[in-house]
Amino acid sequence: MSTNTPDGPAIELVGLSKRFGRTLVLDHLSLQIPRGSTFGLLGPNGAGKTTTIKILMGMLAPTAGAARVLGMDALAERLRISQVVGYVPENHHIYRWMRIEEVIGFCRSLYRSWNDETCREMLDLFALDPRKKVKHLSKGMLVKLSLLLAVSHEPEVLVLDEPLAGLDPIAREEFLDGVLRTICERGRTVLFSSHTLDDVRRLADTVGILCNGQLMLHGNLDNLLTTTKRLRATLVDGRRPQALPAGTIYERLDGREWLLTVREFSPEKVEQVRGQSGVEHVEVLDIGLEDLFKDFVKGQRAAK
Amino acid sequence: MKIDPRSHLPIYLQIAEGIRAAVAAGVYRPGEALPSLRTMAIQLQVNPNTVQRAYDELDREGLIYCQRGKGLFVAEQGTSAAQASACDTVRKSLEEAVKSARAAGLDPERLRELFEAAVDGASQTRSHQS
Repeated sequence: MSTNTPDGPAIELVGLSKRFGRTLVLDHLSLQIPRGSTFGLLGPNGAGKTTTIKILMGMLAPTAGAARVLGMDALAERLRISQVVGYVPENHHIYRWMRIEEVIGFCRSLYRSWNDETCREMLDLFALDPRKKVKHLSKGMLVKLSLLLAVSHEPEVLVLDEPLAGLDPIAREEFLDGVLRTICERGRTVLFSSHTLDDVRRLADTVGILCNGQLMLHGNLDNLLTTTKRLRATLVDGRRPQALPAGTIYERLDGREWLLTVREFSPEKVEQVRGQSGVEHVEVLDIGLEDLFKDFVKGQRAAK
Repeated sequence: MKIDPRSHLPIYLQIAEGIRAAVAAGVYRPGEALPSLRTMAIQLQVNPNTVQRAYDELDREGLIYCQRGKGLFVAEQGTSAAQASACDTVRKSLEEAVKSARAAGLDPERLRELFEAAVDGASQTRSHQS
């Protein structure tokens, strides 16, 4: 049964696992994305981002756990979900022999809530020629057409899988423009996976880092960045002290320089590092999203 | 206004800073409307919730005010508030500069020379431009 309450999460994963043969791709993944938020799903290649999205779109069955979109079960109610979700997949399956106007006509017949005005607006914004055949479109135009088809039925939730990969700067800007117009409409929820950290920083208000099939870091992007700091300590004899402050996600020793990336930073943590024998000087540095992401993934790999 | 997505500085603070600078410089004047959330979000290519957060911040500071249904406007005392806040920012960066000068072992006299040279340099460029 669907439990589509207006204040429930737009997307919900509960203990989601997915196994392909002997490989466990998702390992008890749990996540809630509130309505109206824009969630950026980050993770190294093979972390399970596309698998998560395919399960949400009802294209893959989970091995265990559940995935819900607007309170509906992703697998059992996938047809109802497809009416209220716009999906831009990693690879675009659009009939190559059709003209753009034919593809639009075809999709229009599939959705009760198709909005000709939105469609027209997006055609203009993206400068797409309706007479053009899909097989003659560049990669950038194809991605834009895919977004046009995903938003013209006024979906409540928009799901984008690596949407900006391989786009030139102009196509990227136009695509972002189209996504932002959709986000600006009240209450729209967006889930997108990406490697382009600059774009994640621009678009997302919440991020999650997927690593080894689990969601490792999850929260408001600005809060994560302001509460994570890098400590740079100079060691007298280049020997690393034993104790690490709580919340250390990555550390590296380079000669006499000791770098630590620490979550939930507090001045006490600096004192803790400074108080250890052999530590001469400690400096606190700010960290950007790219370094946070890299340190996090490297730290996870080192722990493995 | 330019947003740097690589900076550690939260984007909403970058936007707030950009608007403060624009108000201080008279780009937006007291009583004038600011661009809508949607316009600003699309123009800066950032999430509208982030722009909202920047506007909330400036509203709290008394730099702008919200008129229901009409949008956001620069407050009467907006220009002076923005200049005061710009002053604050400059003081902070000067303090940072002094700190790194000390770490590098520069004496105060040398530091004063550097500061005065920088001020003179800046005013010379300005007189060349005018």
